[in-house]
Amino acid sequence: MKWQEKYTTFLFILPALAYMVYFSFFPTINAVYQSFQTPVSHFVPSNYEGLMGFGLPFAIFNTVVISVGALALQFALAFIVALVLRREFKGKGIFSTVFLLPFGIATVVAAFSFTNIFATTGGYANSFLKVIGLHPINWFSNWWLDIFTVVVSDSWKNTPIVTLILLAGMGTIPDDLYQAASVDGANAVKRFFHITLPNLRNYVAIALIIRGLSEFNIFALPLILLGYRPVLLTTLTYEFYSTTASVYYSYASATVLLAFILVFFVVVMKLRSGQ
Amino acid sequence: MMTLNRYIIYLVVSFALLMVIFPIYVLFLIAFTPAKYTVDSVFPLLYPGGFTLANLIVAVKSFGLIGPTIRSVETATLVGSIAVAIGLPAAYGLNRLPRKTANTVTATLFLANMLPAIVIAIPISAEFISFHLYGSVIGLALAQELVVLPLTIFLLQGAFSSIPRDIEYQARVDGAGLLRTIFTVLAPLAKAGVAAAFLLSWMISWDEFTFAVILNPANPTLPIIIYINLFRGNILASSAFALILTVPVIVLTAFLQRYLKGEYLTGGLSG
Repeated sequence: MKWQEKYTTFLFILPALAYMVYFSFFPTINAVYQSFQTPVSHFVPSNYEGLMGFGLPFAIFNTVVISVGALALQFALAFIVALVLRREFKGKGIFSTVFLLPFGIATVVAAFSFTNIFATTGGYANSFLKVIGLHPINWFSNWWLDIFTVVVSDSWKNTPIVTLILLAGMGTIPDDLYQAASVDGANAVKRFFHITLPNLRNYVAIALIIRGLSEFNIFALPLILLGYRPVLLTTLTYEFYSTTASVYYSYASATVLLAFILVFFVVVMKLRSGQ
Repeated sequence: MMTLNRYIIYLVVSFALLMVIFPIYVLFLIAFTPAKYTVDSVFPLLYPGGFTLANLIVAVKSFGLIGPTIRSVETATLVGSIAVAIGLPAAYGLNRLPRKTANTVTATLFLANMLPAIVIAIPISAEFISFHLYGSVIGLALAQELVVLPLTIFLLQGAFSSIPRDIEYQARVDGAGLLRTIFTVLAPLAKAGVAAAFLLSWMISWDEFTFAVILNPANPTLPIIIYINLFRGNILASSAFALILTVPVIVLTAFLQRYLKGEYLTGGLSG
């Protein structure tokens, strides 16, 4: 009777599992396979060689820089807000509600607002600079600023998720640890580095994986804020999909993206289980 | 020392609030004030210079606001319904399976969820063309399901785990089948969680961009019509669309706040 129950239980999971596996693994394998095809030949690296001429190395570099920058900013902000949310203060309820709003707001809408904030003429960032007596800036005049605007916009949208995950992690740290440390004379900064941070390792790793993978996939924001230049792996993929006849270049670019995601995943998992 | 901490907390809180609200404020400003104070000036006003509904009316009249809105509602509702229909039994099953098997299933779900939409979407679009699903609401909903299903399952798992097993045994003793027990006994008991799961997947589909732009460019949903209008420089029209997209989401996020816990967002990995 027991084994029968076990198999029935598994049958309940089967539709969801089959659905996810079928619709994600098959197309992914297909994309990797297609990336080595051309209309005239099979199993050749020519799509990748072709992509080199369209800035593949630069796309990889930019994707990594934006991912690292956005992760650093999001984690820094999320730690500060999470530490504040561990305290009790007046208006905490309203603050948590408002702080969570960007999580729900569509990436496209974030891109809309930040396009208007960073616009060179008619931009709100420049209006603000003018009010406080500084010179307006052309926010898309060089590579650094291009990267900066995307990192800032993306962090606006995604810091709440990181905060929620860190907060969940902080909830698992027993209060005794802090009390003991206080008795031993450790100040707030010491307590953060010697108790909070080490005990959060698991949650930091999870947040890193979830956010890191999404960062490599960052698409709508750079597409709307920057267009196709500076190029990213996602916008490169989309450019070849939407504007040229050779969808094979798209597959090659998508495969490179996939490779980076898998490497990142494995590295973080190793770091998480290591030590 | 105590008061210093207070000051720091309120400083952080006010600064964070300002940062979070400003882009939303800019959206409302552009949507509801005359263009001469916003997009038509070199230095737009940081406060509302006036009030007008003209931007919204123009968007409704000349930019086809109705079609994309209906399409978005249809897609999101379909995604939410499928997520709950498949997710409920799956969540129940995961709670009942031996821990080791359950962990393997969770990891597989997470791995599938992790594969990039842009990698999946392009091969799928070719498949969909041959199945006449390309550009259809059903096709888009099937693809977006990939984004929401694991999250739905983890959230429902949390909702189920608080129900005592005795209730389930009682229903079984009374002769209800397992599936019937799940949908007519357990789901109603966890109805707040089920509603949250439905609304969360509804909202994620409502906001979704990558699958929508690759699979349905000719029959755009709201996010795509915003992108198209931004691309063409119709900022006022896209502000109206962005507003329609955002208002329900603000309400939903506030409502869902209780369910948006780090534990669910971690994709079941924290256990």
